[in-house]
Amino acid sequence: MSTDDAIRLTHVAKSFSGHSAVKDLSLAVPRGSVFGLLGPNGAGKTTTLRMVMNILAPDNGTIEILGAPAGPRSRDRIGYMPEERGLYPRMVLEEQLLFLAEIKGTPRREAARRLPAWLERLGLADWAKRKVNELSKGMQQKAQFIATVLHEPEVLVLDEPMSGLDPVGMDNMRHVLLDLKRQGTTLILSSHQMETVERLCDRVVLIDRGEKILDGRVSDVKKEHGKNTLVLAFDGDGSFLASLPGVGGITHFGRHVEIRLTEAADPQILLREATARLRVSRFEIVEPSLHDIFVARVTAHGKAVA
Amino acid sequence: MSRLWPIVRREYLERVRSKAFIIATVLGPVLMGGLMVIPALVAGKAGKPLRLSILDDSGALAAPVEFQLARLRRDGNPRFVIDPPPSGPPEAREHGLKTAVIEGRLDGYLHLPADSLQNASASYFGRNVSNMIDLRMMEDAVSDTLVGLRLAGAGLDPIKVRDLTKKVDLKTIRLTAEGEREDRGAGALFSITLLMMLYTTVLMWGQAVLTGVIEEKSNRVVEVIVSSVTSTKLMAGKLLGVGAVGLTQFLVWVLSLAAVSVLGANFGAGSLAHMPEVTFLLLASFVLYFLLGYLLYSALFAAVGASVNTTQEAQSLAFPVFMPLVVGVMFFPMVLNAPDSTLSTVLSLIPLLTPLLMFLRITVQVPPMWQIALSIVLTGASIAGVLWVAARIYRVGILMYGKRPTFPEILRWVRSSG
Repeated sequence: MSTDDAIRLTHVAKSFSGHSAVKDLSLAVPRGSVFGLLGPNGAGKTTTLRMVMNILAPDNGTIEILGAPAGPRSRDRIGYMPEERGLYPRMVLEEQLLFLAEIKGTPRREAARRLPAWLERLGLADWAKRKVNELSKGMQQKAQFIATVLHEPEVLVLDEPMSGLDPVGMDNMRHVLLDLKRQGTTLILSSHQMETVERLCDRVVLIDRGEKILDGRVSDVKKEHGKNTLVLAFDGDGSFLASLPGVGGITHFGRHVEIRLTEAADPQILLREATARLRVSRFEIVEPSLHDIFVARVTAHGKAVA
Repeated sequence: MSRLWPIVRREYLERVRSKAFIIATVLGPVLMGGLMVIPALVAGKAGKPLRLSILDDSGALAAPVEFQLARLRRDGNPRFVIDPPPSGPPEAREHGLKTAVIEGRLDGYLHLPADSLQNASASYFGRNVSNMIDLRMMEDAVSDTLVGLRLAGAGLDPIKVRDLTKKVDLKTIRLTAEGEREDRGAGALFSITLLMMLYTTVLMWGQAVLTGVIEEKSNRVVEVIVSSVTSTKLMAGKLLGVGAVGLTQFLVWVLSLAAVSVLGANFGAGSLAHMPEVTFLLLASFVLYFLLGYLLYSALFAAVGASVNTTQEAQSLAFPVFMPLVVGVMFFPMVLNAPDSTLSTVLSLIPLLTPLLMFLRITVQVPPMWQIALSIVLTGASIAGVLWVAARIYRVGILMYGKRPTFPEILRWVRSSG
């Protein structure tokens, strides 16, 4: 067994009264990586994370955290921010954060020593003595993040870390996460914001209906899906594009479209057709976005299962 | 244990610091005391003496009745001031008196018809006829006068007759191993008061656990907590923390009661001397049965809280949980009357009823030691069982959202292993 993995799931399964939420899932999160756990709603992400946190026990399979079986001890070494945020609304922010660090086994004084720097960094220093229900949603989100990191975990599990943040907050959060990565923290992100995942993650696993359908380094995954995507920006009515030979599908982005090409398609023919009928301002052959890979894989898997 | 402590402390401090707790703890005794003491004080205060007239149709009764009434005192002051009735024909006199009463120059007048002596009839006309104490004094005075006159008419000496027909003043003395003590019915009242306090506090803190669990669940903080400590520890910490809050409240109440007693004794307030003794046994058993009742019911309430999503949903499930408490209270007159009957003994040994009924029995007449011990063992075992079941329901329930689970589903949670 390698201890280079922060988290390793081997043939893990979990079902709830007949409905199987996770089926035979195996995956490994290397230490120090930023790992994306992706999947549509109801794919089994939350159940998987809850098993990693030892909130739920798997029916089958084993879960190893930092080289040891998942258990009450291992979860002190993980920081967990669940998708549904939760803080005591009537509790003073500072008290609340110290309490949450304490139940992770960090002595109160130690937590109190670390707290001011985190409050400062996330812009909550002036709010330490306020009750949580006086904080805005974005501030509560940041407070929740501090609750997740104050006990200095080796692994961070963040479900939708960017939701509720404005662009400045998102940038700030991204920097905080990358700093943690630099310090050696392993990050596991579960998110539907593909842009965030693409910018931050080294590796991704895509699960659907409790099964893994994609696993690998982000760069490999993209390479594997080939340079079969065409970005086209233009003026005019582009509705004819969908009926051209070699076009597998079109995703509209307002000012441009992404065209998925079929295997045999020749982009040059497409360019000629387009310039003949539209004012083209951008034409680029790119790797597919994670978004498109996600949609294509999940759709294909749905059809295969059905 | 190191993880339990922060949970207990949070639960305790957040509640003890809350305005609701401070208000309930300080205002509780003030309100209770006020409700009991103020009416008694107000009823006891006589106010100004009553100004009366006597309308005597026979002409022979007014003087002795007036003599009797004038002697009566309340709070050390004469209670009745007798004005002479106006003169004139009977109808005019009566009319004059009615006008005087309505205009407020008199508080009322006593009408003694011509056949008063024979038929023992008399009437009082007044603006206020709800002043029970005054009316009772007046009735006794008129009655005594008429009886005296009748006895004298029959050739008997009223004073001698009164001595010979003196009624028994039955004193009730409670005998206990520690000694004897005169008790004028305050004992029963005291038992009922303590019983109701026990009932209210067990229910109140049980409900506090219920709403606490629902709140943690509805604001989703529970998932963060159980990613740090086990759900069983969370539940245990909550029960201990809230229980400690309940004990703190008692402590405040007992201390303030003690302070009031000491102050009262200094002011020489006579009424407190009649207060039943608060013995150590009584205090200790109150705390013990509070803890037993609280743990038993709050574990059930925690399980209910974990199974539902909102306080509204909890109502229908919570009712069967605290139903036995209500039943226990309903049995109190029976237990009070016959604390050592077979039925009382059996009922007080049923764990769900023990906290109320065994405690009630202890306040009335200390039951045999083996029964007390048995009640503690049985209730303790039930608490262990209920905690075990509740912890399993709790563990699954706190992460379940959406539809309220059916009873068979809850049973499945209890049986499930993970």
